Amino acid sequence: MILQTQGLSRRFGGLKAVDDVSFAATENTVQSIIGPNGAGKTTFFNLVTGAIPPDAGRILFQGRDVTGLGPDRLAEMGLVRTFQRTSIFREFTALENVSLAIRSRERRNQALFLSRADEHRISEEARSILAEVGLTGSERTVANNLAHGSQRALDVAIGLASRPKLILMDEPLAGMSQGDRSRIGTLILNLREKMGLTVVLVEHDIGMVMRLSDRITVLQHGQVIADGTPAEIRENADVRNAYLRGSFAA
Amino acid sequence: MTVLKQCTHRAEGIRVRQPLRPVHVVGFVIVAAGAFLPYALESQPYLLQLACQAIVAAILALSLDLLMGNTGLLSFGHAGWYGLGGYTAGLAAKYATPELLIVLPATIVVACVIAWITGSVLARQIGKSFAILTLALSQIIYSLVFVASAWTGGEDGLQGIPVPTLAGFNIVAPQTWYWLLYAVLIVSLLLALYLRRTPLGRAWLAVKCNSERARFIGIAVFRLKLIAYVLSAALAALAGGLFTTFNGAVSPDALSWFESGKILMYVVLGGVGTLIGPVLGGAAFTFAEQYISSLTDAWLIYFGGLFVLVVIFAPGGLFRLVSMLWAKAAGESKEVAR
Repeated sequence: MILQTQGLSRRFGGLKAVDDVSFAATENTVQSIIGPNGAGKTTFFNLVTGAIPPDAGRILFQGRDVTGLGPDRLAEMGLVRTFQRTSIFREFTALENVSLAIRSRERRNQALFLSRADEHRISEEARSILAEVGLTGSERTVANNLAHGSQRALDVAIGLASRPKLILMDEPLAGMSQGDRSRIGTLILNLREKMGLTVVLVEHDIGMVMRLSDRITVLQHGQVIADGTPAEIRENADVRNAYLRGSFAA
Repeated sequence: MTVLKQCTHRAEGIRVRQPLRPVHVVGFVIVAAGAFLPYALESQPYLLQLACQAIVAAILALSLDLLMGNTGLLSFGHAGWYGLGGYTAGLAAKYATPELLIVLPATIVVACVIAWITGSVLARQIGKSFAILTLALSQIIYSLVFVASAWTGGEDGLQGIPVPTLAGFNIVAPQTWYWLLYAVLIVSLLLALYLRRTPLGRAWLAVKCNSERARFIGIAVFRLKLIAYVLSAALAALAGGLFTTFNGAVSPDALSWFESGKILMYVVLGGVGTLIGPVLGGAAFTFAEQYISSLTDAWLIYFGGLFVLVVIFAPGGLFRLVSMLWAKAAGESKEVAR
């Protein structure tokens, strides 16, 4: 298991946003977390990526207890995320967005000098990562001027620059056109198949989740109510009642 | 306040080599002309004195822009560092040695240590909390002047600071002071511009643009903010130390919230994050303040009005406004040439 949580819990006042969640992600798979709004999916992501500390429970990444570590330390270890709202450096060019993340991975973000050779090498790596996500030709475009789908792809590219082992993607298809959805879907599959990454996905587009996922975990009121393959989840009566009613009408 | 949160740097990458452009030539001519100013003002010592004060204001504005422009942290108490530098240098010169090569580095070290300690708490804050805490810190430093009045002179200020020396030579002539201050300004500005292009400078801008994302790609956001805070405090303290040794005295006014407000105005009027803009803003403000206040007691109303207009109509400051007009004019002249 590349990622495991054991009894993970987090309260906000009287609300149990995440309640005793035990979750496991196998290497080189796409695992999705689904559930109605307010089920605790994003809070779960925030806990796993160190954005907020848990009240109880443990988080294991590659067998190592990483509970309480901050996002910067986790990124160094290979655990990165993308955000529900595209989170990029909007005033930087696409190339600089990715170069920044590469320099961060190499711990050169406090450097006062970079040789030409290093600049060139980082720039070339950034170009190749942009190519992986389909952004060839947009290297010099200021991120804010990219189309929505390309901004989302750039968000993923920034994550890839950290050379992650695990990438958590929070609603990567939100607000996208059909064409962009299909493009990002292909990108997610490529992350697993071509780059050997593990992807943990939170997504509301059930059709896409069923198509992309190797395994699905269903949350409701902060608790896991089901876990299994897409076929198992599709047939699960509790899940159908709680969440999927009508989703498979077709 | 939105103007202060904007991230308006077109980041093309590190050390992009640009061909020599007219704007660079104009910049070089202005810098060179500045070096010859003492000759032009030989018969007007008052103006030369004012020019020295303008340079100190420019260094001070640059120091605040190192913090605000790089990381987006807004300080309401920057005069605290200016005053701290002033008093540290003044006390060192009066009670230890007037040698600037000792006094000024000592001032910088004191500011760095205090900034590092206080910054360890302050730099973890964001937005309004940080701004209010900087104001509180500057007021604490302000009150210390009165607590230690036996040393600092309390309300009368620290007087009787001896004529400083530089490598053993007395610095008395206003021209010498001017060149010393001007050299410090130009070196500081060049270093600040260089920093902007280094990985550290790019990471600062990333923190300013999107600190959450920066944290998630492994950037040590707090540490970067702390570095900017300490650098900014050190340069402000250097400005304070230079002014005190130049002026021969320092008063608690140097530490006041009003002084902090003025420094903030230099930066906002000049253009947050442009580095050159605040430098020009600080210098221009000093001259304008002198002249307009001699014409009317209500000069602050005019400055306040100008401040409001700039924030609303030129949120990038006057430097960005001029840059835009310049770029537009250059574009039009290219069109005509075709």
